[in-house]
Amino acid sequence: MKQLIEDIAKALVDNPEAVSVHEVIGEQVTVLELRVAADDLGKVIGKQGRTARSIRTILGAASMKLNRRFTLEILE
Amino acid sequence: MSERKYTLASVGPQLDRCLSRIIRNAGFDLQFEMAEGEAPHPDFENPDISVKFAGRDVDLLLSNRAELLLALEQICLEVLRVPSEDHSRIAFDANDYRMLRIEELRLSARAAAERVKRSGKPFAFNPMNSRERRVIHLSLRDEQEIRSESAGVGPHRQVIVYPAGMPSAPASAFQPPRQGGPPRGAGARPDRGRGRPRR
Repeated sequence: MKQLIEDIAKALVDNPEAVSVHEVIGEQVTVLELRVAADDLGKVIGKQGRTARSIRTILGAASMKLNRRFTLEILE
Repeated sequence: MSERKYTLASVGPQLDRCLSRIIRNAGFDLQFEMAEGEAPHPDFENPDISVKFAGRDVDLLLSNRAELLLALEQICLEVLRVPSEDHSRIAFDANDYRMLRIEELRLSARAAAERVKRSGKPFAFNPMNSRERRVIHLSLRDEQEIRSESAGVGPHRQVIVYPAGMPSAPASAFQPPRQGGPPRGAGARPDRGRGRPRR
């Protein structure tokens, strides 16, 4: 899952070297903290949050297959 | 839309790479094929490139009004740096979802038109993306007694059909903001849940 988010983010941004994903593993949920360069924040969020919503939809569908909840936090 | 702007030669390899990686990383059971434009409803959609999916996870792809299909499309278009005015030039599809959805929207548009003419009251569709709103507007463009317009922002934007002479209602008249949940669709299809698919 970490790889999924990292790959998508790196493909979206201008500064892929600044992309990192940190996993916080809880009992029920895994939180994926995505960090990107400040300049790239708009690229991963998109107009009206559309890109971020799409990433969350893909993550949600993938988690359903794994039977585990993953949530995405986007950090600067 | 006029001549082709995107071809398999120009964007195919990048599109293939982007999609294949996402599908592999996410563990989706999906295969896809890319082809240059074939449009069953060229007035409504006329993509340069269509990407068709097959596989066990097609149901997942199409659940919730093809939420995952459209999410994959959105991400790939952004990754390919396709400007938003060109987004309709590349269309993802499975099981003829797009064609069926256009037919469904045209029917809904006709039903809404009749309803507004009969009742003299405005009618609000569920929120839709821009391509779907366009299908509604195009379906109603020859109507004399009614007019349609879009209102609301982002994912809440919806088409509203008015009797021809009626002024527009103030924003948020149809879609009261609800906290902590997805927006509730006004009218159109109250029978369809908009929540997460239950499985």
